[in-house]
Amino acid sequence: MEMSEIEKYVAPLAVQEAVRILAAGAVTIVAGGTDLTPQINEGRRVYAPTLMNIRRIDQLSRISVDGDNIRIGSLATVAEIRDNELIKDHAAILCQTASHFASEQIRNAATVGGNICNASPAGDMIIPLLVLRAEVELARWQDGAMTVRRVALDQFFTGPGKTVRRDDELLTAVVFKRPSADFIGQFRKSGPRPALEISTVSVGIGGDIKAGRFSNVRVAFGAVGPTPLCGKQTEAALEAKILDHDVIQAAVHAAQQDASPIDDIRATEWYRNHLIGVFTEELLNNVCQN
Amino acid sequence: MAEQVAFHHIEKTSLIGKRIKKPDAPAKATGKTRYINDMVLPGMLYGKILHAGRPHAEIISIDTSATEKLAGVHLVITAKDIPDLKLGFVKDNAPLKDKVRCERDEVAAVAAETEAIAAAAIKLIRVEYKDLPGVFSAEDGLKDGAPVIQERFPDNKSLRFTFKHGDLEKAETGSDIILDDSFNVHYVTHCCMGTSCAIADFDHNGRLTIYSQTQYPYNYKMDLAPALGIDPGDIRVIQPPTGGSFGAKLDIYPFEPVAAILAQKTGRPVKIIFDRQEEFINSPTRQPARIHLRSGCTKDGVLTFRAADVLMDNGAYTSWGPTVPVIMMRTVSGHYRVPVVDFVGQAVYSNNAYAGSFRGYGNVQMTYATAQHMDMLAEKLAEEYNLDPIDFRLKNAQKSGEVTPQKSFLRECALAECLTTAAQATDYVAKLNKYSTEREQPGRYKHGIGLASSIHNAGGAKIHKSDGCGTILKMDDYARVTVITGATEIGQGIDAVIGQIVAEELGVPPEHVTLVNDDSDLGPWDVGVHASRTTFIAGNGARRAAIKAKEQILAAASKRANVAANALDLRGGYVVQDKDGAVVTKLDKMLRQMHFQPEPDVVMVSDYYEPNSEPEGRDHISDHSAAYAHAVHIAEVVVDTLTGEVKLEKITMAQDVGRVINRMGLEAQMEGGVAFGIGFALSEEMLFEQGHLKNPSFRDYKVPTAPDMPEIEMHFIESDCAEGPYGAKGIAELPTIVIAPAIANAVYNATGIRFFNPPMTPEKVARAIWEKKQR
Repeated sequence: MEMSEIEKYVAPLAVQEAVRILAAGAVTIVAGGTDLTPQINEGRRVYAPTLMNIRRIDQLSRISVDGDNIRIGSLATVAEIRDNELIKDHAAILCQTASHFASEQIRNAATVGGNICNASPAGDMIIPLLVLRAEVELARWQDGAMTVRRVALDQFFTGPGKTVRRDDELLTAVVFKRPSADFIGQFRKSGPRPALEISTVSVGIGGDIKAGRFSNVRVAFGAVGPTPLCGKQTEAALEAKILDHDVIQAAVHAAQQDASPIDDIRATEWYRNHLIGVFTEELLNNVCQN
Repeated sequence: MAEQVAFHHIEKTSLIGKRIKKPDAPAKATGKTRYINDMVLPGMLYGKILHAGRPHAEIISIDTSATEKLAGVHLVITAKDIPDLKLGFVKDNAPLKDKVRCERDEVAAVAAETEAIAAAAIKLIRVEYKDLPGVFSAEDGLKDGAPVIQERFPDNKSLRFTFKHGDLEKAETGSDIILDDSFNVHYVTHCCMGTSCAIADFDHNGRLTIYSQTQYPYNYKMDLAPALGIDPGDIRVIQPPTGGSFGAKLDIYPFEPVAAILAQKTGRPVKIIFDRQEEFINSPTRQPARIHLRSGCTKDGVLTFRAADVLMDNGAYTSWGPTVPVIMMRTVSGHYRVPVVDFVGQAVYSNNAYAGSFRGYGNVQMTYATAQHMDMLAEKLAEEYNLDPIDFRLKNAQKSGEVTPQKSFLRECALAECLTTAAQATDYVAKLNKYSTEREQPGRYKHGIGLASSIHNAGGAKIHKSDGCGTILKMDDYARVTVITGATEIGQGIDAVIGQIVAEELGVPPEHVTLVNDDSDLGPWDVGVHASRTTFIAGNGARRAAIKAKEQILAAASKRANVAANALDLRGGYVVQDKDGAVVTKLDKMLRQMHFQPEPDVVMVSDYYEPNSEPEGRDHISDHSAAYAHAVHIAEVVVDTLTGEVKLEKITMAQDVGRVINRMGLEAQMEGGVAFGIGFALSEEMLFEQGHLKNPSFRDYKVPTAPDMPEIEMHFIESDCAEGPYGAKGIAELPTIVIAPAIANAVYNATGIRFFNPPMTPEKVARAIWEKKQR
């Protein structure tokens, strides 16, 4: 256990207040704490002098429709996303993923913003959000005012635990265009047990099905590279195709090309590649059946 | 005041077999329980140990000067401060080390004002090491020129156990089928929810009070004393509520004497508590083993021999782990009739972690091998000689009155009944045949069914000259009972069982019985909680004490009512006529009358119960338990042949429990035991690389979670053990022992692949299926 180095604890009530605190520098942000706490306990991270709890910022918890967009506040918990009617109606793949996320206790505490900022290659919520072509909103205090920029989620991650978010930026929301009525999305993860499992491999596939043809296809993989990644070759193999046996087999092959898994303590490269193929085929068969 | 009697006749009823609530359950469920981990004593310091973090090295120098200067640090100690203090089964271990032999080795320790200061303080200790080549497997330890781990054992050979019975060569010649396989049983650990913790406090007379999670408080003193250089009589052991033990606390480990030495030298209470990572690295493991098993039988399905050659990685020091052959050599045969047995077990020192005792004690490892061999023989006999797999087992199943080659006297043997009950409940043979046909057909998900069985001691294990337990029982003027027992509570439920047994005898509600069993200055001697013995031994002791108290009360009541004592009984808080339950007097009133009569007396009795078993002796061959029990588990699984995931659909178990005492506690022990076995079979594994534990966290060491648990159908066979309390037998270890090979046999039935190296993780299963397809 590291000696605590927290000198100041702050719990702002508004985003503007939070980004001003961030601007002063040397801040650790805590939301659900489900990644931060074990990382601190294991000595993989140390607290900055200021610990900022953002959970009291009500406006960050909202899930809403914003014109053509669906907007999920960064503090929305995984359980809230799973149970949200709006999300169920428009982006069921998020609910499907949320119901396989960790355990009920962790789902109640873990936030979507935290899951994204933790930037684990195995971060479960990231996969369906990549499939939905989501963007994140990053707020900061700059020249006496708050500014907000948007970054596409597929541009957000730079390595394990690393993102383009600046230290003085707060991730305030994740936003995606409301999927069309023809959209279908599927998620699959694996691990040796059904709960509290860090994905060995996860796959998300989404697109519009119209007259048997799959279009606007988006494929994302977790735990098979240094960041969650989009499967460009797999998408190309599927785009505007009818999902017959040959197309699915071509997609399976492409998925194994897209992925660049490694051997680690949780699985070998062989198994991850194998699962990528199994899950891609399984999800595409599900898409066909729906 | 006139005696108020609510009713005049009280029916005879029994609590035995009922569901009795565990007295501490509400406090544990609500978080009110104060575990040892929560305890703070006035003036208490926090101890912290610097572990080597490398497997094999000379310690060139230790510089503690920076640590000593840190504000809040009271003391820093190294091996130089405490020479000649030893611990362990062969005294090859020390509280602090002058040479590193494994990753966990304790190099230095500090006592400081706070946990944070202690943690910072050990980081300031500068140690210069010279790394040495290491030994990381038993096989490597035996090689010529292998590095020597313990200077006293230059060939790296640690404990060795052998047992030979009958003519092996002749048995082999007479066998039509001989199997020859190697099983590699892996490292797992207990994962107690309460991490290891001790609080030590010396008084000014040199007497140590140690707050401990131990499960053997009386012999604990004997083991702790030489590690401190004090007399065992100067140690008082207090046992606050503990978050699990499962065998892990059946020995002392270096943190305990270190806490005591820090307390002795600072004059302050000192607490050492592990965080979860320390717990994974510094706790004992289950003994891993390579079991080379050979089994034979005739074409008529008669078993001819079993030969087991067991090689064990001893790790760097010797705790209870490498003594598990004592049980292995007994359970290698002994529930199926095996006339010829040949067993050798050899432990070899290495630079790996070292093992302690763990629920199932060697039998988890041995049954993983023997129950798969029985399944393989059954399959061959069915295919080649048309023998039914259950008939084959029944043919060889031992019966009441038989004595095994290891001298276990099977007084009440219900193996055949366990087999038929479980097989009929699951339609085992029909499913077995159906699934083995289906596995060759196309399809991603394959069903499988697997059966396993074993034997375990169920009436203690006389590893010392006595396997007894002392009990002191007193009653107060309000008919409340206090039982002071040597039996320790580590969560297994002896609190509920003793309350139930004493209430049964004395005709009072179980909640009127208070158990005192947390202080070695009060409690009479007991061996400890191990060997599935506590309900049997301490239960018998409590019952005998209660009967003595009852006799004393009835003798007094007999005088008062002028009725023969044997015509009276205690029921529902009253003294009654035995024949019709007619009330004689209220029990509390009777007790006050005894107390305040001209020749005053209080009810205060004691008992020392010694089971009718034989000490193991030097060769460990004797009728060492007062009872033996058998269990049969049938696992039904679905294997995803692509991902390799094994889903447990249902477990059906039939176990000889002698007699059900507390049905709720019994069911909970079965569920908990099975959960342990499922983890061992499917997901739990300590991953070592060059002596370094790679997964010291619950994130990467995968214990089963609630959704992993299948439906469990329990059949309790009541064989009515003559020596057991009300006929009961010990029950706690068999559920952990039997389930893993049942799962392995089911996975075989589903896939046609044998897994000799648990755990059967999804990757391992998927890979094996994929490789089989490539052929």
